[in-house]
Amino acid sequence: MKLISLLDRLAAAPAAPTATPRRNLLGQLGRAALAALPAGLAALPAAASPKDTPFDAVAQLLLLERVQLALYTQALAVSGLVPAAQVADFQRIRRHQTQHEAFLTQALQNAGAAVPTAPAFDFSGRHGVATNPVLFPNVLSNYDDFLALAQQLEDLGVRLYKTQAFAITTDSQLARAVLRIHAVEAEHAAHVRGLRRGRGAVVKNWPSEADAPIVRPAAAQALTAAATGGEENPTQNLTLTVPIPFGTLLLIRDGTAIHDPALAEAFDEPVSSATALAALALFS
Amino acid sequence: MSEHSLSPNWRAQPLGRRGFLRVSAASAATVAIVATTGCSTSTPTPVIPPDPHLITLVAGDQGLLSFAYLLAVAQATLYQKVIDSPASDLSVAERAIFTDMRDHEVVHRQVLRYAINPDLTLALLPTDFAFNLASFNLGTRAGVLAAAQQLEDLVVAVYPLLLPLFTNGTQRALFLKTSSVHARHAATVRDLLTPGSFANDDVVENAGQLAGQVRTKTPTEVLVALAPYFAPYVITAPNAPLAV
Repeated sequence: MKLISLLDRLAAAPAAPTATPRRNLLGQLGRAALAALPAGLAALPAAASPKDTPFDAVAQLLLLERVQLALYTQALAVSGLVPAAQVADFQRIRRHQTQHEAFLTQALQNAGAAVPTAPAFDFSGRHGVATNPVLFPNVLSNYDDFLALAQQLEDLGVRLYKTQAFAITTDSQLARAVLRIHAVEAEHAAHVRGLRRGRGAVVKNWPSEADAPIVRPAAAQALTAAATGGEENPTQNLTLTVPIPFGTLLLIRDGTAIHDPALAEAFDEPVSSATALAALALFS
Repeated sequence: MSEHSLSPNWRAQPLGRRGFLRVSAASAATVAIVATTGCSTSTPTPVIPPDPHLITLVAGDQGLLSFAYLLAVAQATLYQKVIDSPASDLSVAERAIFTDMRDHEVVHRQVLRYAINPDLTLALLPTDFAFNLASFNLGTRAGVLAAAQQLEDLVVAVYPLLLPLFTNGTQRALFLKTSSVHARHAATVRDLLTPGSFANDDVVENAGQLAGQVRTKTPTEVLVALAPYFAPYVITAPNAPLAV
């Protein structure tokens, strides 16, 4: 766990702030007026690594939404998997993911960008190959296993929206929409966590070091790293160089210290896009 | 009696140039404040005495921090009260949730306090300023949850509009981290009050281009909604960027 979170932090180290040629390519992302872009986009090298350009940001969020949407679609299609009392909950979550997918698709289309093709998703972790090892057993046959995966994907969703919220620097309307969706993802995540707690899991509505870990095989750790790796971060910054001196700030009026895990709980961490993409790649 | 945990020495301390808010000059207390904010002593006496309870949020990032600080004060005040005298029908597990939320809001409040005044020398609010809980029915579980939901929904609604207004990217990134914690709080208390009411249509757009996105409120709308609880103080945000 510590090693993974360390790796995650390394991966999350900010990239050099040099502008890439693609940075402003989708400067008008989200505006219908720019239909002249596709030719330029088509010429992009296919192997370009993600640099969180506006295009990359929206494309990554679209992939995330498609993964989530596929999970809920497949789960709701399995009769009896989701208890009757919670079907409406997951129908609502699925409706939101559908709306998010449509919104992000529209944003790409409005910018004249090519909409990536949706892959087929396999929530066993076998990548559609029956002889591969199962990384996520019983996700579509056992409600608790389904909930555990849903929780991790929703937590990841909160983090990836957080990461990309201000990568979309060139379109304030789109950036605001990303922030609005970010909040909805967080409500989903808190709800799924509450459902799990109601079924006996040791888990809070917010990522906490008091949560019982979700046990995964080594080959599936990329998901854990992306969902909650580094969430125990006790250091926050208001300036780039000076950490916030929590020790002197956090005495409640009567001298009662806050509970130990609460400091890290009070901040939801972002995730590097490389870490997020590695996790999402487990399902396609 | 003030419910927030600010310095009791407010009157004795100068409100420096980085002062959080401007209190207009009429009461003895506020006269002292204004006199130390750099105003010339030769300033003519206004014909109409200004409202001693008028608090004007300053312009720029400092105003954004001040606004966010007031929200954190409100939430921390509510949750502290719930913990100090919990409704008898609030379960042990629910009290633990409120303790966590109290802790989170205290962290947020103190970080904002630090952001506004890093050397912590200023009292940010008048000593008799309080987020007034009297109109909430905190004697029952339902009343506690309704109050918490009202505050959390408001905070969730304003942050998507508030965050882009920050010019300081480090601060914006930090408060982005707290904004999803508020959304988690909101879903949690909504589900406790009405199971399955997380991210319901009353707080999430259900049609149109913004379907599936949280319904937003401007800072001004939030101040209007919270005005009864800040009384007798009146908080105004006439300056950019809060006023936009």
